Amino acid sequence: MRRLFGRLGTLESRFYLIFTFLFFATILTMQIISTRFTITSVRNATLENNRSLVGELTTGIDAYIESMDRISGNIISNPGTQEFLAAKEPSGELRMKIQDRFAAYIEARGDVSGIVLFRGDGDAVNDDGTDPAVFSDYTNSHWYRNALEARGDTVLSTAYVQNLVPGRYSWVVSLSTLVTDPGDDPALGVLLVDLKFNRISELCETLVIGEKGYNFIIDSSGDYVFHPSQQLVFSELKEEPLDDLLPLLVEDRPLLRKEGRNYLIAPSGRTGWYVVSVSFDSDLLTGWPYVQLMNALVGLVLFMIVGLVTNFITRGVTRPLRQLQDVMKSVETGEFRLAGELEGTDEIRELAREYDLMVGRISELMEENIHEQELKRKSDLKALQAQINPHFLYNTLDSIIWMGEMDRSGEVVKMTSALSRLFRISISRGKELIPLRDELEHVRSYLTIQEMRYKNKFRYLIDIPEELMNHTVLKITLQPLVENAIYHGIRSVDYEGLIEISGYDEDEDMILTVRDNGRGIDPAKLARLLQDDFVDEVDGPRNEGTGVRNVHERIRLYFGETYGLSYQASDNGGTLITIRLPADGREKA
Amino acid sequence: MKYLFFFIGSLAVALALFLILTFSMDPGHTDELALDEPIVIVFKATVAGQPMDFWSVVQQGVNEAAKEFGVEVMITGPDHERQIDRQINIVNRVIEEEPPLLILAASDYYLLGESLAVAAEKDIPVITVDSGVDSPHPVSFIATNNIEAGAKAGNEIKRLLPDAPAASIAIISHIRETATAIEREAGVRQALDSTAVAGTWFCENDEKIAYDHTMKLLEDPGISGIVALNEIVTLGVARAVRDAGAADRLTVVGFDNAPEELAFLEQGIIKATVVQRPYNMGYMAVKTAVEYLSGRKVDPEIDTGSVLITAENMFRREYQELLFPVNDG
Repeated sequence: MRRLFGRLGTLESRFYLIFTFLFFATILTMQIISTRFTITSVRNATLENNRSLVGELTTGIDAYIESMDRISGNIISNPGTQEFLAAKEPSGELRMKIQDRFAAYIEARGDVSGIVLFRGDGDAVNDDGTDPAVFSDYTNSHWYRNALEARGDTVLSTAYVQNLVPGRYSWVVSLSTLVTDPGDDPALGVLLVDLKFNRISELCETLVIGEKGYNFIIDSSGDYVFHPSQQLVFSELKEEPLDDLLPLLVEDRPLLRKEGRNYLIAPSGRTGWYVVSVSFDSDLLTGWPYVQLMNALVGLVLFMIVGLVTNFITRGVTRPLRQLQDVMKSVETGEFRLAGELEGTDEIRELAREYDLMVGRISELMEENIHEQELKRKSDLKALQAQINPHFLYNTLDSIIWMGEMDRSGEVVKMTSALSRLFRISISRGKELIPLRDELEHVRSYLTIQEMRYKNKFRYLIDIPEELMNHTVLKITLQPLVENAIYHGIRSVDYEGLIEISGYDEDEDMILTVRDNGRGIDPAKLARLLQDDFVDEVDGPRNEGTGVRNVHERIRLYFGETYGLSYQASDNGGTLITIRLPADGREKA
Repeated sequence: MKYLFFFIGSLAVALALFLILTFSMDPGHTDELALDEPIVIVFKATVAGQPMDFWSVVQQGVNEAAKEFGVEVMITGPDHERQIDRQINIVNRVIEEEPPLLILAASDYYLLGESLAVAAEKDIPVITVDSGVDSPHPVSFIATNNIEAGAKAGNEIKRLLPDAPAASIAIISHIRETATAIEREAGVRQALDSTAVAGTWFCENDEKIAYDHTMKLLEDPGISGIVALNEIVTLGVARAVRDAGAADRLTVVGFDNAPEELAFLEQGIIKATVVQRPYNMGYMAVKTAVEYLSGRKVDPEIDTGSVLITAENMFRREYQELLFPVNDG
């Protein structure tokens, strides 16, 4: 889990998560909307289709009742009927004639269950000659009373069990009509035509919608005329939403949707019944599970595509970043790798470029630093080598020997001790920076030796204020300058030379000067003397300025470019070398 | 590799969500049961006699429920009610087949207990219908409450003969060791004053014996009423009364609704009959089976009810369908 959350911290996974979530929500919303829309439109289309089916059903019922009504009318208008009803005592012959005609109707129309003609006195004739009025009090039955009330109009009953003939119970719908005398309108009798109800129930059961759909018929007061599960309905194991349906009867194109069922209501004009066609959503929308599966799969495929694209985009952004990160890590190991040309956005390429510049600069600086350190070592070594110049040592020792032979032991002691001091300070326990006091001691020892060797050839003057004595200087700074003044300035003149060493503070810097009154330097040469590439064609390798230039370089290496030496022509014809050093002797950073 | 994990994970989540969300929007969503095998129903008798034959009507109810709940059923059983051994064989064979559920109308209260124990071992749930079995295994028993039905008959004869003297009412039962007979008799006796009952006569479910019993009882002037406890007995009694022309002095209350019985009722030979609801029995049996298989709780006993039918109410709208077959041309 921690690893998982750790991954969530990366740019890539965040991008991925956000994109996936957004796209998922979008796809899902679209799917839900389109599914709803599909359901509604498919259902509506199907229901409209079904309405015509139910219309067919009511038309069928109407036509059926209409045809029966015509039979009824034919019987009534038949003179035999009138005769039978009007006669006081109808003859057996007439009775037989009527009975035959009734039987003929029944034979011709398989859906007529029975035809009975009642006289007002209780006598009756029916289609098979049985006496229809043995047990039942027909005058009390609904079809009889309704016929009387309707005064000649044909009355249609609801479905019921006809029990006129004992032991013969059949489900019928009755058409009953009061037969009147065409002249003065006295009631003569009642004609009953029983229609087999299964003709209607068959119609209802054939024209069903879907596997589970069914039709039922109610009248305008909400009583069932027909229901395929009548027993269940009456024992309340099954209920139809009659309370919801009844108010809809008067509406145009009524439709009730409840609990996944659709109730289409179609009125039958002739009968006054309402056929309610019940269809189930599960039947209307067959194949819906496949549609849903397809929807889910399409959603998944879209989601996968989006996922892959997101992955691609995300990687496009993060891959150069990752590369840059790898390059940057190389710095830790001291390897300065460059990012180079990265494939990525402008911002990332800019970042890589800046980074490369920075790394380039750093490595340059580091190289410079290494180079400087090397130079320092080299020039320090050169300074030391210059000190231990065998030529100088040989000459000095030669002078000491010579003075010893001359028994000038005092001078021998003086020179030897000066030489000793000279070397001690030169070595000075490996330190490169020493107090000015020691440096002066060093240069004084050197001057002592040279003064004794070049007797009366020159004199020197050291004029340094006491407060400068503790300032730090680079060792072996003054001695090469003095050496230079002696060898190249004073040695070749025929008057007494003078070497003056003085010093003072100037702001943060300390200025030391070495001045001689020797032969001076050619001004053209003077300007170039401190340049690196200066080679003296006249003097050769051990030439004028080599030691001095080494001092200049060392100072600049240790303290920075602003410090160092400068040559000037001195006002007394010789040369003035100015040394600029930091007063606090701080090395450059 | 790292992101493969993410990718597969989110795909799985997406698939699950897509499926759940799309299927939860199922517009025709019904909790229909999907069964590999049909529910097996073993009746007492399968040879259909007349259209209103008790088992034919039960079967109509079964078919209605099977259609409504979208399940497949297979109906089997012996040809006649008295073939008890045959029914036991059929039940045993059905249990071998391991149906998802067995609906049984037991011919014998005791002899089928062993078969149901085997069914329980095989985890086949059993629902008994009409007649129970002496077994703890059936998850539900769907039948007419026969004590109540008997009481209806008893109450009716008491209403018709309010001042019945002692030992004036005879009970003619169909068979001695049948739960329905015992319970109905108990119901009748419960409704009447115990003194009013002259006794119980048995007729081995034979119409002729019932006829003879009635003829004998007619010779006794003290007997003013007969309660006949099933269809066959009722027909035997009614024929005897008709033949003796004794409808005026003997009040008969019967059971069931054979078309002939209804004619007798209309003619006044029988004053009332207690009618069961076999259609509802069949319907409720399958409905309960579906509920049980769907994991819902079902009542251990379901009374499908009975109705007292007289000449006055027999043509009432709500009873017409119960009494008369609609498919009779």
